[in-house]
Amino acid sequence: MKRLTRVTLTLAAALVCGQALAVTRGGQLVYGRYADSLFLDPVLNDANLDIWILTNLYDTLLQPTADGKGVQPGLASRYTVSKDGKVMTLTLRSGLKFADGSALTAQDVKWSLDRARQPDAGAWSSSLASITSVTASGSTVTLNLKTPDPTLPAALATFNAAIMPQKLFTAAPGKNDAEKAKAFAEKPIGSGPFVLSEWKRGSYMVLKRNPYYWKKGEDGKALPYLDSVRFEIIPDDNTRILKLQAGELQGAEFIPLSRVAELRGNPRLNMTLFPSTKVNSILMNNRPTLKDGTVNPLSDVKVRQALNYATNKQALIQVVTYGTGKEMKSYMSSTTPLFDASAKGYPYDLAKAKALLASSKFKSGFDVTVLATSGSADDLALLTALQQMWGAIGVRLKIEQLDAATKTARYRANDFQMRTAAWTNDINDPSQITSYYALFSNIESVHTGFKSSEVDKLFAQSQQETSRVKRASQYRAIQNIYLNAAPIIYLYETPYPVALAKNVRGFVQIPLGNNIFAGASLEK
Amino acid sequence: MHSHYVLKRLLQIIPTFLAVMLVVFLLVRLLPGDPASAILGDRATADIVERTNRQLGLDQPLPTQFALFVWNLLQGNLGDSISLKVPVLRLIGERLPVTLFLTVYAAALGLLLAVPLAVLAAVRRNTWVDALIRGVFQVGLSLPVFYVALQLLTLLGARLGWFPIGGYGSGTLGHLYHLFLPALTLGLNLAAVLVRTLRNSVIEVITAEYVEFARAKGLRPRLIMTRHVLRNALIPTVTLLGLNIGALIGGAVITETVFAIPGVGRLMVDAIFGRDYPVIQGLTLTFAVIVSLVFLMTDLIHARLDPRTELS
Repeated sequence: MKRLTRVTLTLAAALVCGQALAVTRGGQLVYGRYADSLFLDPVLNDANLDIWILTNLYDTLLQPTADGKGVQPGLASRYTVSKDGKVMTLTLRSGLKFADGSALTAQDVKWSLDRARQPDAGAWSSSLASITSVTASGSTVTLNLKTPDPTLPAALATFNAAIMPQKLFTAAPGKNDAEKAKAFAEKPIGSGPFVLSEWKRGSYMVLKRNPYYWKKGEDGKALPYLDSVRFEIIPDDNTRILKLQAGELQGAEFIPLSRVAELRGNPRLNMTLFPSTKVNSILMNNRPTLKDGTVNPLSDVKVRQALNYATNKQALIQVVTYGTGKEMKSYMSSTTPLFDASAKGYPYDLAKAKALLASSKFKSGFDVTVLATSGSADDLALLTALQQMWGAIGVRLKIEQLDAATKTARYRANDFQMRTAAWTNDINDPSQITSYYALFSNIESVHTGFKSSEVDKLFAQSQQETSRVKRASQYRAIQNIYLNAAPIIYLYETPYPVALAKNVRGFVQIPLGNNIFAGASLEK
Repeated sequence: MHSHYVLKRLLQIIPTFLAVMLVVFLLVRLLPGDPASAILGDRATADIVERTNRQLGLDQPLPTQFALFVWNLLQGNLGDSISLKVPVLRLIGERLPVTLFLTVYAAALGLLLAVPLAVLAAVRRNTWVDALIRGVFQVGLSLPVFYVALQLLTLLGARLGWFPIGGYGSGTLGHLYHLFLPALTLGLNLAAVLVRTLRNSVIEVITAEYVEFARAKGLRPRLIMTRHVLRNALIPTVTLLGLNIGALIGGAVITETVFAIPGVGRLMVDAIFGRDYPVIQGLTLTFAVIVSLVFLMTDLIHARLDPRTELS
């Protein structure tokens, strides 16, 4: 009897524990976004507003890991690369289905990748440029490559390589791919954890659970846990926060960093700072003369280094990011694969800054103009702080505020001296940011005009280097050359601030910015 | 009624529209920054920007683009939004009712507040009641709309929980409930404008000889107020209201952003920042139509209230 009691008690305890650990299924999570998505085709778009939602609708063969450091299996359960690095073979999971219940086949994969890698297909086709042909047979997909490509796994885990249903897409009305994409994107069908069920532009979007999703949850049953996610579009920061505080939302993104501390103090909320790949810097025009022909002091590397040393990052982190930022030490974020952890960056050193400027051609200081985004409180806080800091070495900073489109136009015409800039990666590989920031052949190194034949050579090698160790050393060298040339002002990395209701579990915003609702649940 | 006059006025609107369209067409293209750069962002290469401009037909000479625009317009086609890739007409169709609902709601609340208070202030002129009413609205007028909006949201929405914080709701009752705070915000602003004029004209009428005469005849004060005083005092107010409806639609931009209302105001802001030419053009045209119609209606109501007005 005694023994029986004990067994019963143990069993009961196990059951109770089991229940406490189990994830709650069902319910709707209401999430406040600052702006609506624009166009839900994975290939023909390039806006974060879409990219960060697309992964909930469409699945990729591989997926980025939540820490941003690598890739994990997705629709493909495994992949192998041939010895010479020129053939990649992927094995699809069995029984994959799209959200309408139709089978997802290797042919859909071939068709999707072929569509995404056409040179004319969106701004992203180059990520798949190493592929010369795709063949499909049974559950195997084979990619034949021009050259070995270490970036390919990450590229296959990126939104533009999403697998779409060939039959449904081609059956959509329209004369050509662009028109069909427009029609299909109105009511997209993918194989992601959710499927679009309702979309009132500018107001809200409802994603319903995809009953055919392949990934299993902790309870062994298919994900996602939630029945639906509803995105409410609330552009005003204050309103978004008020709605969250009133319990009308269970999550809100883009919380201004100035309000993070306040929301942390709210016992009903879980103020989360997800690590991001966001780097904030000031781009400098490195060319000898400006667009109007005047001499540009920023063409002198000593001047650029001096400004970097005269920038007190810790103070800026306190003033502009309210302590949430982190000093930037490489042009890429510390969450980017192959980030050089030994990089020294530019520690604040006023004496060094003065000495460098004194040994330059601009000893007595100079005027410099920076383009800022009008209406951005962050830009203004940052630049007025820099005015003070750089004033200490005789550099007079003038602020020119422009709306974003005008700022972009000036920048694209190389008609600027300095500008504020932020960057986030879209792919779990350092090649994307490097090609933009350090390669003149892309967009003139984010229009700074920085050019280094050494960097060009190292980058070209790294794009075919299959040894991770060697690739890391190539990237270390690139980051080092860049740091010494200082084409930009290194500022800080900032997180993604998301405020969640206390009962929300399992939601992740990965460093690439994608909002992952597959494992999110609402606990009772 | 005045059908001939109405038809003539409607026909006069057409050349106005053409002029408006030409100006807007040229102005948006004079702005620095093109749609391709705006959609593609900072990262776009020159090739991709050029390709996108070509796909959008923005590489064509301006006269060709304008001719094509007018040609499409004549067929009832306003083009597709560049960033959202859906027909502009559909976007406006979805968003305009929201803004109109808000505008009418705000005008109604504004009048409900302004008329009785203005009459009260006029009747009790130069007493503390008059001073209080005028003072409160004077302060209201000097407060920025977004500030009033946020205060109402914080107090009546978040703290007291009487109204939802932003959104549009569903069904007419849902809209009335969800849009109460934004309508009140705009209505307060409108009432502040109207109260002063209406109070002055009520005073003017009250002291007019024919009202004295009516009073001397022994008519009930209430009847005098509604039939003689208000009817005449409302004439300048109607004109002012008409002028302000245009401003209300424009002012909805801020209110719609703060209250997360999916109306045309917010659509316009997004379109301007995104250099979404077709949307900017389509919305400007719509605004021009609405303002013209409101002015026409104002004139008709004016004529109705004041038989001395000649419509010609």
